[in-house]
Amino acid sequence: MNREQISDLAAAYALGSLEGAERERFEALLREGDPDAVTTLREHQEAVVALAELHREEPPPAVRSALMDRIAAEGTARTAPRAVARPSAPPRPRRSVWPAVWAGAMAAGIAAIVVGLVVSSGYERRLAQLSQDAAALRQELDRQQAVVAILRDPATQMVALAGQPASPEARGRMLWHATAGGLFVTAGLPAPPAGKTYQLWAIAGQNPPVSAGTFMVDAKGTGSLRVPPLSGIARVDVFAVTLEPAGGLPAPSGAMYLVGKS
Amino acid sequence: MLGSGDALPAADLIARIARGDEAAFGQLYDAYAGLAFGLIRRILREKEAAEEVLQEVFWQVWREAASFDPGRGTPEAWLVMRAKTRAIDKLRSIRRREQTFVAPVDEGVTRGSDARMDDPALAAEDRTLVEGVLAHLPAAQRRVIELSFFEGLTQSEIAQQLGEPIGTVKTRARLGLERLRGIVKAKGSPAP
Repeated sequence: MNREQISDLAAAYALGSLEGAERERFEALLREGDPDAVTTLREHQEAVVALAELHREEPPPAVRSALMDRIAAEGTARTAPRAVARPSAPPRPRRSVWPAVWAGAMAAGIAAIVVGLVVSSGYERRLAQLSQDAAALRQELDRQQAVVAILRDPATQMVALAGQPASPEARGRMLWHATAGGLFVTAGLPAPPAGKTYQLWAIAGQNPPVSAGTFMVDAKGTGSLRVPPLSGIARVDVFAVTLEPAGGLPAPSGAMYLVGKS
Repeated sequence: MLGSGDALPAADLIARIARGDEAAFGQLYDAYAGLAFGLIRRILREKEAAEEVLQEVFWQVWREAASFDPGRGTPEAWLVMRAKTRAIDKLRSIRRREQTFVAPVDEGVTRGSDARMDDPALAAEDRTLVEGVLAHLPAAQRRVIELSFFEGLTQSEIAQQLGEPIGTVKTRARLGLERLRGIVKAKGSPAP
């Protein structure tokens, strides 16, 4: 390929419109550190960022505070149960994903208590922050309750996802409820390479796959994803997981890692 | 412009975010939320949906900062691409919903008019700035860039829609971006 052809690919890549084999070819050039690919991509990205920059508009402050609350709530939920759960963890990880579901539910319970304690002591110390903390707690509880509701409802389908040639060891379970959304848990997936993420897809009948969100896995290959209800989709026939560029794509492009029919 | 020479060390901030540094996240947000939000609103128009998408984009940044790969370009481009992808996803889900539940698709909701409805002054300023730059592009190049960047079409979809060979679409995208970069460089910083 000459420089102009590489620059064509770089332009499409920078605009996010490069797909399939060409996208893979261009990413391979980047990995090899091809100087034309690196330079032309940087130049085209400069133009694309400048194009976005022309529309710059500051968002309302509420978005920032909602994000910070969410991060604070996650921090409390993430660190607290870990210390409690670790000593009793089994010496060998089992293949089944159900322990992950129950550990998650238990951790969520503990997390809710911890968040509660944090909020109640905060009540005395910093009255001004109370309403903020309470909002974060409410959000977290709503989330947990939604998960429990899904687990309880007889209308909830359970879909088993099996590993594909790219990851024969991997397993997944999707608890899916048409109006409440779902909970996806997985184990045994390889850690995605830098710049990649796993993306979950829902397929209804002959329609093109719809993104149900992206997720990462921890060092042991376990991950989970809370999936909101998908608008306009009453019944999902197939769930699948592919490896996609970070941030996910509107349509699957990468190798399939898990698939399961409902 | 952010991202050139003396700009904020966005890549350092992202590395710190990957280690769970909330203060670094706050700094990154303050520097780039306006960039991401403007683009999301350009794609979606609906303010509430745009705020929701912005939150999701930065939530992903918090969760997946470790996936940033400098080998694929600048942090600004990484963020812009995430904002674009999420906004297009949302746009498609809104359109799907409208096609399913509403008989005639209300163009005003998904495409919006040219103006930002809630602030005519802002809209006028915005139009001048953007059109000032984009007006320098031949219409055909401008169309390809708009379809890929603001409508989220792939190159083969664009070729199909315009009834042009894909090679032409590729060349127009490249020439358009080259030209755009030249104009922006000549004008200096486009940011207000």
